[in-house]
Amino acid sequence: MFDVNEFILKKAKELGFGDVVVLGYEMDRRQVRFANNEITVAKNWHERKVELFVELEKRVAGTTITELSEENIERTLKTLLSNMKGMAPKEDYHGIAEGPFQYKDIPETFDKAIIELDEPNEYVETAINAALEEGAKRVAGVLYTDHKGLYLTTSNGVEAFDEGTGIEISVRAFIGDLESGHGTNSVRVLKKFDPESAGRKAGEIARMAQNPEQGPEGRFDVIFDPLAFANLLSYMSFMTSAYAAEAGFSFLVNKLGQKVASELVTIKDVGNMPNGYGTRKFDDEGVPTRETTIIENGTFKTFLLNTSLAKKYGTETTANAGLIMPHAWNIVLEPGDWSKEELFSEVKRGIYITNVWYTRFQNYVAGDFSTIPRDGIFLVENGELRPIRNIRVSDNLQRILEGIRALGKESYHIHWWEVSTPVTTPYVLVEDVGITRATK
Amino acid sequence: MELLEFAVEKALERGASYAEARYEEKNGTSLAMKNGNPEGLEVLADKGIGIRVLVDGGMGFASTNVLTKESVSEAVKKAVKLAKAASKVRNEPIRFSEEDFHRVSYKVKMKKDFRDFSPEEKLEILKKIEEEVKATGVNVPMRYLTYSDQLWKKVFVNSEGAYVKSKIPRVSVTYNLVVIENGQMEQAPFVQRAFSGGLELIEKDEPWKWAVKDVQALKRLIYEGKKPPEGKVDLVISPEVAGIAVHESVGHPYEADRILGREAAQAGESFVKPGMLGERIGSEVVTVIDDPTIPNSWGFYLYDDEGVKARPRYLIRNGIITEFLTNREYAAKLGQRSNGSARALNYNREPIVRMANTYLAPGDHSFEELIEDIKLGVYMVSFNEWNIDDRRYQQRYIGREAYLIENGEIKHPVRRPILEITTKALWSSVDAVGKDVEFYPGTCGKGEPSQGVPVWMGGAHARLRDIPLRRP
Repeated sequence: MFDVNEFILKKAKELGFGDVVVLGYEMDRRQVRFANNEITVAKNWHERKVELFVELEKRVAGTTITELSEENIERTLKTLLSNMKGMAPKEDYHGIAEGPFQYKDIPETFDKAIIELDEPNEYVETAINAALEEGAKRVAGVLYTDHKGLYLTTSNGVEAFDEGTGIEISVRAFIGDLESGHGTNSVRVLKKFDPESAGRKAGEIARMAQNPEQGPEGRFDVIFDPLAFANLLSYMSFMTSAYAAEAGFSFLVNKLGQKVASELVTIKDVGNMPNGYGTRKFDDEGVPTRETTIIENGTFKTFLLNTSLAKKYGTETTANAGLIMPHAWNIVLEPGDWSKEELFSEVKRGIYITNVWYTRFQNYVAGDFSTIPRDGIFLVENGELRPIRNIRVSDNLQRILEGIRALGKESYHIHWWEVSTPVTTPYVLVEDVGITRATK
Repeated sequence: MELLEFAVEKALERGASYAEARYEEKNGTSLAMKNGNPEGLEVLADKGIGIRVLVDGGMGFASTNVLTKESVSEAVKKAVKLAKAASKVRNEPIRFSEEDFHRVSYKVKMKKDFRDFSPEEKLEILKKIEEEVKATGVNVPMRYLTYSDQLWKKVFVNSEGAYVKSKIPRVSVTYNLVVIENGQMEQAPFVQRAFSGGLELIEKDEPWKWAVKDVQALKRLIYEGKKPPEGKVDLVISPEVAGIAVHESVGHPYEADRILGREAAQAGESFVKPGMLGERIGSEVVTVIDDPTIPNSWGFYLYDDEGVKARPRYLIRNGIITEFLTNREYAAKLGQRSNGSARALNYNREPIVRMANTYLAPGDHSFEELIEDIKLGVYMVSFNEWNIDDRRYQQRYIGREAYLIENGEIKHPVRRPILEITTKALWSSVDAVGKDVEFYPGTCGKGEPSQGVPVWMGGAHARLRDIPLRRP
């Protein structure tokens, strides 16, 4: 697709645009959805498109071109130009990165075996059967295979290519109406794919969750399963973008250099993580992706930035462009040194939450939110687990981070419908978490 | 649309027992303004074809944005192959309900066609919000405003004779406003005003007035807000709060695909079971309707994305569960006809069971009558945080703008009253409903990949008796 990119760049320069970024995609995606132990639909998407960003005297615009004929490309550029001429400039625009750059191959991000995989249904059956073996009655979920080529050309000398693959499964297992469990597995190379573990975990939690009692309310020590904590960190990932902070969507506003979490907490964005579902070689302006420490031992170190926002704040890009809106690639909560058993035995009377969904904020800048545990929820008393139901986590995101008392030593990479930015996290013990429930 | 007919023919030739092809084209612009700075222009121009087939009782879907016979033919081949393979992992074949199909064409007219206006002229709407908010004198240090317009063109063809062509323009303005006064901060996030139609609808709606009302209410909340009463009180909910409540706790749990488990892994299941048709879920005064045909509504359509004619759906009538939302697959499972609730966000998405414009039907009380005999209560005007469990039974709504009601009068603002309640308790507690209906836009999320479709939510004011309210 570089020929298309070159043509767009050439024409854009001829028309007088300043900064130009052309990001071409060639994508093959396959999906198998299943429910009630059977496949409900199988899908295939093939897509070629170009995301285009242009700048004209500090006026910026973007579009996606899906019809890549020369005629349509020229028409699109002329439309952008005529639309931009009357616009007011974006005064805080400070340009894109100066290339070229050197890129390293990132291990475990490409696997021909995934491209050549003819029929992924056997993996679906493996996951369903594992869940059924654990005692589930109904199993639902989704499997994806991905193959994506990225072609980046910019007016600042970048020409970069990245090709990636992926395969992932999300499995939810049910016994009755109130007993369910969830497991996921997301990897970039076929030999690491483990649909059985996802099905088995879903089935096992569903089995443990049988005959739940109404849960209590108050403040409790809570063990968050990686699946549950990944949800909170995925919502938080947006708040680490400098753009979100300026727009009033982040509890991290005005907190640079301040303590925002327990000293045990180090949170990073790792764009170049081997086998990470969000991993890419470069960001949208061609800067090689890297590891950026957002929170270090509880102290907030940096927002995620692109070149323009970095210049605005007198610092360096963190390689997280999004040209308008920087964003995270793979959020990582560094693990601790507790075994899972030690974590559970640490809790005299608390709650184990295996999954949450529907996280919503009352106030983004304050960080006040609630989220609903779903699937198995358990009262933990002296190492014993007793299933409960119908509770809600109602608290504040910064307070949750400050309340982290222990971190498991094993990390899990989570990506599914409710965790759109991939998150790697261990089991997390948080003290004094607000729990509420409906009383009518 | 020869390519669509070609796709359907090819699918049948390859062994499909049913085939449909849908062309969608979306054109539009969006603009953002952050703290007074224009954030740039986004131009949308997207089109493609989605093909869905049934083969041996399995379902396959493929889409392409390369509009050539070769590419469409390849997509058909993939859809058929996927459907065949899927049929082997099924307990029973998928069947569709029998429906009457039409050859029709319809469109929503624009008095002020947004295509005739430059981005700069559209940006004036956002500038007007900025100016009006500033003119209030309230300190609003973070202001994030967006404008977007899109013209949705669709053509749908299936192997049973349907041909539906439509053209629906949509315009929308959203804002996030953070008020800091007296060292305290309050926020009105993701507030949206949105319609199907031309620019004249946004101008008539005057989103700047909504923004001004919000920041003034938040300022007043900061200076005069007190703790809400706790424990059992009466609660009057506004059309906006009634809207989110009917959407979350009536619309979603009545989706037949969810009831029968198809969404179990993502959006969840439902506390409602097929056998609950005819059961009481609310008081006599509660009637909830979902109606895609409301003119200029954000969730407007006249034919769904399976070619079935749309009509109002009475989900609850006088407190009784009367109808589920269905598409052809789930209507067949329930032994019914589809009520036209199949929607797809775009050409590259499958049609699934969705809401359109869901509302609490009006009753016979004026607002004054609703509050006149309340000794102690709360009037919840708008909300921020809300959520509900994945069976749609345990929910929570927190008031943004809310007031104390004392001896039949609206008094001072109250901070964050929390309604955390079960679906049955909520609708059983309603003893009176107001006369006037209002609607509020939203984006309804469901499906995987997620399909955020435009919906309206609303209704009349409603009075709930003896409700356990909480404080933060």
